[in-house]
Amino acid sequence: MGKNYAMTIDLQSCIGCAACSVTCKNENNTDDGINWMHFLKKETGTFPNVRYEFMPALCNHCDNAPCIKACPVTAMYKDEDGLTLHDADKCIGCKACMAACPYGVISYNKDNPHEYWTSEEAWSELSATPAHVKQETGETLPYYNPERAYNYEAIRSRGVVEKCQLCDHRLKRDEQPYCVERCPSEAMYVGDLNDPDDKIHEILKDEHKTLKDELGTKPKVYYINSF
Amino acid sequence: MKLSRRNFLKASAVTGLFAAGASQKGPVMNAFSTAANAEEENVEQGEWIPSVCQGCTAWCAVEIYRIDGRATKVRGNPNAKANHGHSCVRSHLGLQQVYDPDRVKQPMKRTNPNKGRDEDPEFVPISWEEAMDTIAEKIMELRENDETHKFSVWRGRYTSLNGILYGNMPKIIGSPNNISHSSICAESEKFGRYYTERYWGYADYDHENTLYEIFWGGDPISTNRQVPHTASIWGDLKSRATLACIDPRLSTTAAKSDEWLPVMPGEDGALASAIAHVLLTEELWHKPFVGDFTNGENQFVAGQEVDEDDFEEIQTHGLVKWWNLVLKDATPEWAAERSGIPEDQIYRVARGFGKAAPRAISFSSPGSSMTIRGGYTALAQAALNGLVGSADAEGGVISNGIDVPTNDWPEIDDYLDDIAEAGLERERVDHGGRLELPALKDSESGGVKPTNTVADAMLNEDPYNLKVVMSYWNNFNFSNQGTERWDEALAKLPFMVHMTVNPAEQTHYADIVLPVPHSMFERLSPVDGSNGNLHRHLHMQNKVIESPFDIRVDETEIPWMLGEALEEKGFSNLIDYFRNEFRDPETGDAPTNAEEFNLIATKQYTEPIWDPSFEKDGDTINGWEELLEVGTWNTAKYEFRQKWDGNWGTETGQFEFYSETLKKALEEHADKHDASVDEVMEACNLEARGELAYVPHYEPAMRVGDEDEYPFIFTEHRSKLNREARSANTSWYQAFKDVDIGDEAWDDVAKINPKDADELGIEDGDEVKLTTETGSITVKAKRWEGTRPGVISKCYGQGHWAYGHIASLDRENQIARGGNNNDILAPVHEALSGSGARHGGQTRVRIDKV
Repeated sequence: MGKNYAMTIDLQSCIGCAACSVTCKNENNTDDGINWMHFLKKETGTFPNVRYEFMPALCNHCDNAPCIKACPVTAMYKDEDGLTLHDADKCIGCKACMAACPYGVISYNKDNPHEYWTSEEAWSELSATPAHVKQETGETLPYYNPERAYNYEAIRSRGVVEKCQLCDHRLKRDEQPYCVERCPSEAMYVGDLNDPDDKIHEILKDEHKTLKDELGTKPKVYYINSF
Repeated sequence: MKLSRRNFLKASAVTGLFAAGASQKGPVMNAFSTAANAEEENVEQGEWIPSVCQGCTAWCAVEIYRIDGRATKVRGNPNAKANHGHSCVRSHLGLQQVYDPDRVKQPMKRTNPNKGRDEDPEFVPISWEEAMDTIAEKIMELRENDETHKFSVWRGRYTSLNGILYGNMPKIIGSPNNISHSSICAESEKFGRYYTERYWGYADYDHENTLYEIFWGGDPISTNRQVPHTASIWGDLKSRATLACIDPRLSTTAAKSDEWLPVMPGEDGALASAIAHVLLTEELWHKPFVGDFTNGENQFVAGQEVDEDDFEEIQTHGLVKWWNLVLKDATPEWAAERSGIPEDQIYRVARGFGKAAPRAISFSSPGSSMTIRGGYTALAQAALNGLVGSADAEGGVISNGIDVPTNDWPEIDDYLDDIAEAGLERERVDHGGRLELPALKDSESGGVKPTNTVADAMLNEDPYNLKVVMSYWNNFNFSNQGTERWDEALAKLPFMVHMTVNPAEQTHYADIVLPVPHSMFERLSPVDGSNGNLHRHLHMQNKVIESPFDIRVDETEIPWMLGEALEEKGFSNLIDYFRNEFRDPETGDAPTNAEEFNLIATKQYTEPIWDPSFEKDGDTINGWEELLEVGTWNTAKYEFRQKWDGNWGTETGQFEFYSETLKKALEEHADKHDASVDEVMEACNLEARGELAYVPHYEPAMRVGDEDEYPFIFTEHRSKLNREARSANTSWYQAFKDVDIGDEAWDDVAKINPKDADELGIEDGDEVKLTTETGSITVKAKRWEGTRPGVISKCYGQGHWAYGHIASLDRENQIARGGNNNDILAPVHEALSGSGARHGGQTRVRIDKV
């Protein structure tokens, strides 16, 4: 039996800092404007009775994923471990998945990513140029993470969509996704629902919810407790 | 037909699915297909190299993931006990800082002799040799004219190597003027702990065992102190303890606390006094720590004096004096009128805090004490930890710790010639220690060198203008209140060297610009002086990568090169000091060049850490190489109650509510000026007279500006993403700026309560001009329920007009992204601690739609 991965995010522990969003960009080489991991914020009430809520938000790896159904070329697919994955090679950039996803977590590359680093223009007479730094470091992006290239294009290209792969390359080597690993409040965890000994079952004993589950998408990112 | 991407492209071309032009934005062939050309092996390709993050003063040990010589990731160093493998969001922004192409690429010199905000410096590249030769020439001119006191080193952030450039170099040249940023950092907070339990430093907190915490403007899951550690235990802390956050704005800590007390800015002192009042009247003080009435009956009744002889104290001194002078009348009803916090909430918090005693923490922060009269507020906050007996105890506050053993820098006496000795005798340029600015660090009048007064000193030539300044890791015309004064002072400064990573606002006035390392990635240096999780530590910063820029280490390599240049001009004392006094502890070798000097200085300073033959209370490290490998040395875990029973270090040896220690320091300061303490109080804009000067008490908030002309109170706060205002030129900072509650991504907003906004007809996104007596900035407005009516709240960190293509919108026209709060904050001080008072609603403001 394959795995059935799911994520838990403990909102009581969460400090709303976006370290998950930043480190996701770091791991997956996403350009400005493309965020596989972002957040939902809500402020309610009037001074001084104000309530603030923050929820990290990413692909829910739905068991009944609308993006998979919508994709005309099976670029969106379910893998053997329950992840909803994207095959950048098959993708035709039609954006049907983006229209279908109720969570708004799929992004489209309207330009080639990281073109900034090809610029020969210095910001000031004191400064270097982006191209200089690129040349010195020898990569498209100075802090480029080549490990992402194992089973997905490490940097996607113009005309395709992209989204959270739940760091499937890291899961495959028994590491937690990078956002989970770097969360300073240890609020997140990815576990295997098929494994009765996995601590995820213990975590899910606490009060939890998923996003828009009324749509029948069967999301697998569980939010524990409240912010 | 099954649609592949190629087929889809064909199909779309035929059927015209894409409009003309839009097809250019359509899919392009991927150079490498996912399956066929992916990396063969799914393995880690890099190695984790220890270093230190200095994005705030937590100074976390981190590790950098290096792949093929590139820095690609950051994480907490698992060997470090203060942050135990965790690092906060700010650490990751360092990656975009170090590879920022906007950085200074090589040494530059100014060719336009005219200086001013409107003048183009017309920088041109020069060699390091020319730079050093020019600086040496300027220093020699001072020495020839007996004006070495007009030389100054300015320090912003620093490592432990600062003792060379900042500590000893100015002395050998002959100047008393090494000016740090410390006074604009957190000195008033330290004042509170020093004059209750004689500790001038950052406290540590036993969050793991506490049951109640009051955060005075503190937001420790967002900003200093100890964010990674506090974050990592926050979920448990919230389950176990009751949390109360006192902050004019809805911070993340406030949002996640059980109680938010949105105090009127600067009125925190009333709350602190009222909480103490309730603790006493309701018999909630911790008797095993404080003591009790001799007859066992509580005589603390509101409004009534108590006989000092009726109370017997144990660890503390002066409780009854404090009660009689201040607390007897400081009822929650009285405090409610001043603080804007309802009395029932004050009672609730005070009772909860008292019932949790002694596992109750009063957590101070600069936010509530870096205010015009905040010294006494900090004192009151510290005193609360005495009342509940949590000072130096489990579940409480630690103002103590095991020293990190390091070697002192070699003595300089033999290298001070007559010129230098004469220069060192001259009056300091900062005004610390003057009647109106006691700056009482370590009980010494002028113990703090105020930073912001240096601009006044230069402008008014009081006592004199400076002539040659070497300035590093700082940006004083951005980070000090009243920036326009700094612009004018810097324009007047004949010669200034700016050693900086990014071009900055201060660089605009530089004569020589020197590129220096990003501390986390590009230099070897020890960092010690911080604490957390009941440990102190020394961490090793590392040269993890070869820099893409032509850099030298500011604190060691540049002084070495300057020493060589001075030697060529006939003054060899500096280089002699370096050559003669610094030795590699392992080989005995003397340094022969700048890079060796950095290495040897680092090894010499840290020798007691890595030489296992030195006895010390902490980790055992077997040799220099092992120190580099583990990256950190930790003290043993702090053992509580070391200060109890007479070891508090104060004048009385007790935890002082009535501070004999402060009394002595104030009297000495007054004597120095042939004045009375009352006259000192008056000169410092304090209302206290007589005995009140020696106890924690309420002082009404002082604000600059007339209420009619400037109807709103301006209050500022910190960002989760600020690396001490150096990270605004990273896209990750801007893209996620809205993690600061109420703020917007890629922007910098003035937050205004919707009631006020309605009256002024202001909508979200409207351009508004904020005007104070000091200056004005134009930013976007944000309607926000997280601030009270009458109070405008704005984050610090943006408003850079010369920092790079992201932080600054238009270089030529000097247009910043957002506005710098320091343009409108008044250049005022918390005089007792010599602090720049930027908080507490220190200025009134007018808000106009543009």
